[in-house]
Amino acid sequence: MVVVKRVSAYTICDLLRLLSGGKLAVRSSRACFDLYYVGIPILSIGIGLLISAIIFYTVGVPLDLFINEIGAGFQSYQTLRYSVLLLMLSVGLVMSFKASVWNVGAEGQMIWGMLAGGFVGLFIASCAIYVSPSELSSYISVPGVEVLDASPVKPVISVLRMNPLLGQLLMILAAMLAGGLWALIPAFLKAYVGIDEVASTLILNYVAYQVYNHLVAYVMRGLSVQARQFLRTDRLNSALLFESLPGTTVTLQEVILSLLFFVSMLTLYKYTSIGLRLRVAGSNPQLLRSVGIDERKYVLMAMLLSGMLAGAAGVSILANPGIGKLEKIANVVTPPTFNLGYTAILVSWLSMLDLRLVPVYAYVVASLFQGGGLLQSEVNARFPGLSLTGAALTYIPIGSILLVYVVLRVLVDYSVRFRR
Amino acid sequence: MTSEVFFPSNKSTQAQTPVVSVCGLWKSFPGVTALRDVNLDVYAGEIHAILGENGAGKSTLVKTLYGVYVPDKGDITINGVKAVITSPLDAMRRGLVLVSQVPQLIDTLTVAENLALSLRQFSLMSSVKSVEKFLLDKEEEYGIRINPNTEVWKLSYTQKQLVEVLRALLLNATLVAFDEATTLLPSSEKRKLYDFIRLFRLKGGAVLLITHKIPEAMEISDRVTVLRKGEVVGSFKVGEVSIDQIRLMMFGERFTQPSSTGNSERCVEGREAIVIKDLWVRGDYGTYAVKGVSLTVHRGEILGIAGVAGNGQLELVQSLAGLRRVEKGNVILHVKDGNVEVTNKGPAVIRDLGVGYIPDEPIKTGISIDNTIEENLAIHPKLSSFLINWRAVKDLASSLISKYNVTTPSTTARVKILSGGNLMKILIARELMVAKNVLLAYNPTRSLDEVSAHYVRRLIRDKALNEGMSAVVVSEDLDEVMEVGDKIAVINSGRLVGFFRRGVDRGEIERVMVT
Repeated sequence: MVVVKRVSAYTICDLLRLLSGGKLAVRSSRACFDLYYVGIPILSIGIGLLISAIIFYTVGVPLDLFINEIGAGFQSYQTLRYSVLLLMLSVGLVMSFKASVWNVGAEGQMIWGMLAGGFVGLFIASCAIYVSPSELSSYISVPGVEVLDASPVKPVISVLRMNPLLGQLLMILAAMLAGGLWALIPAFLKAYVGIDEVASTLILNYVAYQVYNHLVAYVMRGLSVQARQFLRTDRLNSALLFESLPGTTVTLQEVILSLLFFVSMLTLYKYTSIGLRLRVAGSNPQLLRSVGIDERKYVLMAMLLSGMLAGAAGVSILANPGIGKLEKIANVVTPPTFNLGYTAILVSWLSMLDLRLVPVYAYVVASLFQGGGLLQSEVNARFPGLSLTGAALTYIPIGSILLVYVVLRVLVDYSVRFRR
Repeated sequence: MTSEVFFPSNKSTQAQTPVVSVCGLWKSFPGVTALRDVNLDVYAGEIHAILGENGAGKSTLVKTLYGVYVPDKGDITINGVKAVITSPLDAMRRGLVLVSQVPQLIDTLTVAENLALSLRQFSLMSSVKSVEKFLLDKEEEYGIRINPNTEVWKLSYTQKQLVEVLRALLLNATLVAFDEATTLLPSSEKRKLYDFIRLFRLKGGAVLLITHKIPEAMEISDRVTVLRKGEVVGSFKVGEVSIDQIRLMMFGERFTQPSSTGNSERCVEGREAIVIKDLWVRGDYGTYAVKGVSLTVHRGEILGIAGVAGNGQLELVQSLAGLRRVEKGNVILHVKDGNVEVTNKGPAVIRDLGVGYIPDEPIKTGISIDNTIEENLAIHPKLSSFLINWRAVKDLASSLISKYNVTTPSTTARVKILSGGNLMKILIARELMVAKNVLLAYNPTRSLDEVSAHYVRRLIRDKALNEGMSAVVVSEDLDEVMEVGDKIAVINSGRLVGFFRRGVDRGEIERVMVT
């Protein structure tokens, strides 16, 4: 029996008033408002971690292990990589969320980025060919050629067909285009047919996974023995792979891309009419219509922007030297996107849709994500009989925080009372 | 009328104790002190009007009583007992009910469902049927005819407001506050509402009537308190003080005799600016709301359209602005560089021709309350380019704020913290600025105080006179139409039933409005 009624001032004061059962009359002031902005994310992270610690403790994972592994997440090199990818994704998502376009399809858009980038990289910027076993040794010294499969029966080499920098650029552009176009499908459905984008973007993620599996296993399947055996593409020519920063798993290109996107989206948002219109599309689309701006175009714009950035994130994963190929998804719980498309939603929300805060929360969430992963491998190794296994462990901290955040927002933005 | 159930039956035994008393109330928002040391006593069996210009603090005062705002300082006593009102629900429990200018109803629910949410007689377990039956009985009793099964979004403004009033009456309130709630009601409904208010007073209820309209305050209230810039500048019994003295209290040195907005009949000749031929437009229910309207407005001419609300004037203006489909007929705008047929061309084409539009529901379609004043100006394509020069926008905003005397902490304040009148001024300022050729307006001065309303009407007339702007001004307020229009057309059931020149006798217009 909950009645939710909207109140006029959205402050943490209301939360305090609520928690005190109405006995505490809190003055609303500027300080309180800032508390709302900063307090909710921090409270969510704090309470969320507490909840996940309790969950782990109840199933038998000692607290110190939990604390150590989550703490290690904050210092891991892999965290840096996740932060960069999450920054790229979340900046795009914030743009669309600002316009009240709830794109939860970053996963699918990343997948399309991988496919398009992979297609350009594998079939346009380079190509894989069979050579005769006897001639194999003569190719080794040719620049731009590398051996993919040195099997004595049917060796395969990859031949670079253009300047590798141009190739990388084309891969990125193709990925952004594909991600953007994929995002435009639900955008059109929302703008012109009135279909809710939350459902359609989510469903399209699974469509994208299936299309990906088909293309990778049949259309783009590689020539090498391993590729044919495991239903995957060939490895990208190493000249096309992004360049790792020394001692880390982050690549130079993805760092540049994410900073570029961050700055350009910030500029677009603050200083151009597109940014202003997206903002107003989120708060009052009818105003846009009334002043003679087609509000539907800004639904498309919001989705296009976030889809393009997700596509770029997708190709950044593919072109990482640690990956370099597309493999068939065996289980939708562990797609090649690492589920970052969903995790980025949390980053956007925690930053309260403020672009400037995205880098901070991208790092925090990446750390927790990585910490969860470390915890998972540690727990699986040490406690083989545990009821919690696999990816479920990784997502417990992230999920708990998301849950607390959503509950806090509802409690603070609305005043909830129980009625008999 | 058996209204004992709904009106407080104990006819105030101690007339000395006020129902609600406010003592030394202070409230400030970032940058603005809305209330300074306000004292107010409201007694049972009294209709107490709070008068003040836009941004004087009237709404803040009543929202503080209603538990929306927490006062910075000062006490509120209810029936002699000190009270801390924590929320609107709390206020309702204590017998204070607010009816505000913007109906606080959930659009997607039916009338019955909306009322069931706040009535204590019903819980979530009660069947909607029983609520409906109860409401039908009560509506009969009060003479309000609204189908309880209708979804709220289908109701007109007047009907929504009546639902709000009904809710207040059904809540057994001891004090009902009307926050500009009667301002936009047509006079026939207004009178009906006044009857409820008088009956309520007779039964010992207390009424707070918040308004910026002096005649409204004088018409039915017993006592008037005047606020200016958050301070009480006078409190008196009706009849003790003259209207001019009240004006002086409300506006201070800004007050000048509000008259002469170029009363002389201007003879507008020359080129046609807006030509409407046999226009047919459907209303929300699919039936024709505008039935074959033909009109011509010349350059520099203002056409006032009078009529009782709901006779097709809303649909007419919306179709001219490109926001509603024209089924038959056409609209031609003659602008400086030629004639343009704009029938069903959409708002982008129309607005690009230098057309300003003041819509009927400003908060819904005219302004975005979650955005700042600057953003609300810059959003208009005519006022900013792709790269927004925020410094120029800020200068523009500052100049408009001083020109229209808007009370706001800054140009980057979110519009939702502005009072209803100040919000309207921002909208009017923007639209008058973009109205190079044509202004379309629906109730343009609604929720403006007397001085601001006259100022806006004078601006419209000046712009027509000096810059050759043509205007179609629809208003439910006949005085406004008579003050602003060079020509007055009367609309009734979707047809134009009368044309008058400026200076016509009011009675003649009224006659064709209702027949």
